[in-house]
Amino acid sequence: MTDVGTLDYIWLGIQAVFLGPEAFSIFGLSISITVLMVAFGLILGIIVGATPGLGGVIAMAISLPILISIFGFNSDALLPVLGFLIGVMKGSTVGGAVPAILFNTPGTPDAFMTTLDGYPMAQSGKAQKALKISHFSSVSGDTFSDIVLIVCAPFLAILVEAYLDLPEKTALLILSLSFIAAVVGGSAAKGLLSCGLGLLAVFIGTGEDFYPRLSLGTAALSDGIPITAAVIGILVIGAIFTELENLWHQTRNTGKIEIAKDVGDQRLHWADIKRILPYIWRSAAIGTSIGALPGIGSTLAATIGYATGKRFYARQKTPEDPNFGEGAPEGIAATEAANSSVSGANLIPVLSLGIPGNTAAVFLILAADSIGGFNPGPAVFKFSTDLNPELVVAFGLFTTMILANFLNWTIGGVFMRSLGFLVRIPKQYLLPVVLLLTLASLYVQETAMSAIWFAFGFGVLGYFMRLFGISPLPFVIGFVLGGRLEETARQAFSATGGDPFFLLKSPIAAVFILSAVAIIFFSLRKPKAAKL
Amino acid sequence: MRKLSASTALGLGCIAFALILAFLWIPLDTETGLVERSRGRNIVGDGLAPTLAAAFILIAGVMLLLEQSENDLHPNGNNLFFIGAIAVCGVTGILLMRWSGPAVAIFAGGEEYRLLRDTVPWKYVGFGLGGVTMIFGMISFVEERLSWRALWIALAAVTGIIVLYDLPFDDVLLPPNGDV
Repeated sequence: MTDVGTLDYIWLGIQAVFLGPEAFSIFGLSISITVLMVAFGLILGIIVGATPGLGGVIAMAISLPILISIFGFNSDALLPVLGFLIGVMKGSTVGGAVPAILFNTPGTPDAFMTTLDGYPMAQSGKAQKALKISHFSSVSGDTFSDIVLIVCAPFLAILVEAYLDLPEKTALLILSLSFIAAVVGGSAAKGLLSCGLGLLAVFIGTGEDFYPRLSLGTAALSDGIPITAAVIGILVIGAIFTELENLWHQTRNTGKIEIAKDVGDQRLHWADIKRILPYIWRSAAIGTSIGALPGIGSTLAATIGYATGKRFYARQKTPEDPNFGEGAPEGIAATEAANSSVSGANLIPVLSLGIPGNTAAVFLILAADSIGGFNPGPAVFKFSTDLNPELVVAFGLFTTMILANFLNWTIGGVFMRSLGFLVRIPKQYLLPVVLLLTLASLYVQETAMSAIWFAFGFGVLGYFMRLFGISPLPFVIGFVLGGRLEETARQAFSATGGDPFFLLKSPIAAVFILSAVAIIFFSLRKPKAAKL
Repeated sequence: MRKLSASTALGLGCIAFALILAFLWIPLDTETGLVERSRGRNIVGDGLAPTLAAAFILIAGVMLLLEQSENDLHPNGNNLFFIGAIAVCGVTGILLMRWSGPAVAIFAGGEEYRLLRDTVPWKYVGFGLGGVTMIFGMISFVEERLSWRALWIALAAVTGIIVLYDLPFDDVLLPPNGDV
């Protein structure tokens, strides 16, 4: 057998996507299932992003069990399923701008800043142009961040494998959890609480002893809490309850939606692109830098991108140009490029460190865990001369991202601009249906009524967490990483001969631990504005 | 007496919970402690990881007491009423989902439900009744009225989910048929 080099891995990844099992052929050209699934995922993502009340997370939660039922638990399933989820992730980011621009209703939280200039543009008869600017900026930002991901993730992973041993990896996990707890949401204390509850939940019914710990002697807890039930309960069902409550409060004062008619030239000219490009690149760089840090969401990127663009615009604009917030195309570009460039960069910590930085990454890890054969983390990027199948999957994943961007550039914009009608679906009908669909999907995956009870219970917990202003994201990331943290700590403790100070003996591990403490300490001194 | 802010109350609750967790629940409900001696060497016990979680919660509680927050977010009576009503709809729906199939099988005097759970129409009884109840109940509560429209939507949704999951896949079971 010949040795496998770096270029061979890249080529094998591309081949795995385009020359995998065939779905159908057009004029003799074979279309693989993975290509088809990326396209389906993108279309579904744009639809759910454009539907207020839904979003990429709900779509991923519902689709995952269906996809696993279709493709089964084998390595051939990895790229179609992960490609579909990548498509949903990218599509929902683009789709979120549709209701924000047309109806002043952000489809996703990170599209809020898009309403500030998008809706005034739509009201002044430039809705189609605003949608085109939003699409162009969003896909540009996303493409930029994917390039950064593809270039950086393998190098970061190689560095991690070369320099970090078990104690350092344990310390890095603790640092990541502290960082996520400190930066997500409006309060470090609440982030830490959310993370602590997630860790506690994942430790119930697990462990190495014969007796399942913290199970209170009950059969229900002795098998542990299914990860999908906890994640879907806290993230999806909790959000559905919160949204339903808003509707309950609004029942008596829902107004009729008025749509302004488009007037004048709606095309996106080269002159328009030249005007918005500096805003796009600046925001894409901001979004990518923010996205590379685990836990910092696209909402913060959108806010900083918008604020930076606004300062730059104030110096550049002519007196007759509209201000930011009054229908400036540059405002849409600055926001959309920033929030979209987070999604690719968010996968840097997942692929290089195995640490999920956002909810989409959590679902990618869930999918990889469920199917098997691919464990996101530094070990993936072992460029061994004997074939490393995980590395082929990683390059296949990069290929699906480039493919999703290509589809987004070509058909995404047209499709996105045709979805304005989705905002008319009454959310009070949609959300309970989505709840039942989510519970059914969960059951299909877990085949246990206890999973439905757990998910519903975690949904109620997620609802109360939101009422207290506690972000559910640290809970989910704590839950996902808790098992690995314990396993790594056990191995590190044994490897150091039972040294109780194993986390402080190596300089790198000590720096990580001290940084974790410092992050929490300094975030306590400076309370932040609430952000998702 | 000065009224407690929600943050302070939450902080005190966290501290109390963390202390109960660390000093009662974990020691009484875990086989091994923080560190154990096994075959002549020290190993991490099952109690260490949950104690770390308790430490996170304890530190969070202390920080909540110290942190200055402008938004004192907390649930009010309306929130509790809402989640209570939604929980009633959800729990009733799940209970019907689990038990209505076996109950109908008993009343029909036929075979045990376990033997019927993969046959039409028995396999749809629980999911249909529970699902319709859940959706209809939640829509009616949010709209504050009962409507035929809500009922038709619930029926259409349940039918759609059956078509989505049950018809195309032989090995997929809708709730509760996989574990009754």
